[in-house]
Amino acid sequence: MDSDLPLLYPIVLYLVLILAFVAGTLLISHWIAPRRPHPVKDMPYESGMDPVGDARRHFDVKFYLVAILFLVFDVELLFLYPWAVSAYADSPEGNPLRGGILQDAVFVTMLVFLTTVALAYIYALRKGVFRWR
Amino acid sequence: MSLLVTFVIIVVVMTAILGINSYLILLERKTAAWIQDRVGPNRVGFDLGLPFLKRLTGGFHFWGLGQPIADGLKFLFKEQVVPAHVDKVLYFVAPCVAVITALLSFAVVPFGPTPTSANPDVFPFVIAPNIDIGIVFVFAVSSLAVYAIILGGWASNNKYSMIGALRSSAQIISYEIPLGLSILVVAMMTGSLNLEKIVARQAEDGFFGWNIWFQPLAWLIFFTAALAETNRLPFDLPECEQELVGGFHTEYSAIKFVMFFLGEYTHMITVSYLTAILFFGGWHFPFIAEGDSTYPGATAVKILVLAGKAALFIFFIMVLRWSLPRFRYDQLMRLAWIVLIPLGLLNLVFAMFVRHWELSRWWLLPISVVLFVAAGLIGTLVSTQEKRVIGHAHQA
Repeated sequence: MDSDLPLLYPIVLYLVLILAFVAGTLLISHWIAPRRPHPVKDMPYESGMDPVGDARRHFDVKFYLVAILFLVFDVELLFLYPWAVSAYADSPEGNPLRGGILQDAVFVTMLVFLTTVALAYIYALRKGVFRWR
Repeated sequence: MSLLVTFVIIVVVMTAILGINSYLILLERKTAAWIQDRVGPNRVGFDLGLPFLKRLTGGFHFWGLGQPIADGLKFLFKEQVVPAHVDKVLYFVAPCVAVITALLSFAVVPFGPTPTSANPDVFPFVIAPNIDIGIVFVFAVSSLAVYAIILGGWASNNKYSMIGALRSSAQIISYEIPLGLSILVVAMMTGSLNLEKIVARQAEDGFFGWNIWFQPLAWLIFFTAALAETNRLPFDLPECEQELVGGFHTEYSAIKFVMFFLGEYTHMITVSYLTAILFFGGWHFPFIAEGDSTYPGATAVKILVLAGKAALFIFFIMVLRWSLPRFRYDQLMRLAWIVLIPLGLLNLVFAMFVRHWELSRWWLLPISVVLFVAAGLIGTLVSTQEKRVIGHAHQA
């Protein structure tokens, strides 16, 4: 079985050139830019007031909820990609998923899957996860 | 394709992106000026304000075209202030991640005609040709950009940066889901994630084969979500100036600040190209750039058509920025979770039915319109009802 890896070498080359560009810009600026430290420059900028306390404090639990939901729905999305690409594709040698009992089976499976996702969504909605107040 | 050709393409693309980026900032300022009835930057010519160059150009201003060059040089020569309380390593890594992810996501985006099974002899105008995961690669890489913002906000140890980064991370991951859902429908129509094949498929069917005719709703969802992903107004909560000074890049200066902006503008270019490729036929245009047009210079015309379509979307994004007010944060999250995700799912289910029953693709156009109108009606009803409830609460 032939591999797709040789196709990827332009991406690796591109990545190397981007890294070189980023490093080069930072280095040039590092060499030619002046450096004049000052105690006021070293303070966090808070509109001219002296900062009170540390910036890394507790934050709203809502952000965690969004992260968890994102995980659920994004993984579900990843499952959908292979199906969306292959289920209705026309290939020259004929798509085994098209026509016949297999197409109906895949269709029903996907309907069940999407219903489960919709139920999960409605559950989260009723729990008030999407309400930011 | 030989290594040298690939190398040349990469260098040309990178130079073009960086050059276009700096002039996009000038275009943005000129657009703002045009909308607000001002003149905009028009003083800096190619003498860059330097006396010894002024003698060469005769003091002509060139309509401000020297501004991006002067800005770039200025940023390079500025002091890089690193505040005392930052996390040094992460503070340094964050802007690099922003640039790298933004530039790298352009690797599989075709910017001109590419070889197809019908005409395999075409020169491939794309950095990495024939990558079958195509659009998934773009999303995988460009969603890493959220790390730039989170790391930058966290490392800065500044309250504005921290709040900006938190908001931004929640916003970007929320809008990733509708973005993916809108792409799924396109993948289902084409049977491939390869961007070159998606363009070829649309070009085969001519003007009425463009995906926009069958998927206007998917385009709307895609464009809205992509705007939120690039942190552009009306979704620029992470850096809203009136509340958070500069948001996640408050503590960044000089070249590191430029890198964040480079990332944002490159992302904008990629999104515009993707919109043109996925929904508006790529390089295809009726009569002048068909799949079988072989007149001399046809290749150049195709590249220009695609660039022109992308430029239109970039200009549209800029006009949007100066026309729409910013969302409130709860409205922003509601739009993603309560409006766009259900709409995307419904759109997907209907597309699935149309494909399964082998109906004509044109069924999808009225379905899209009906879904859009229904969503608008339900949204208006719900929001007026909520206003009534809030009004009663105030009276009581």
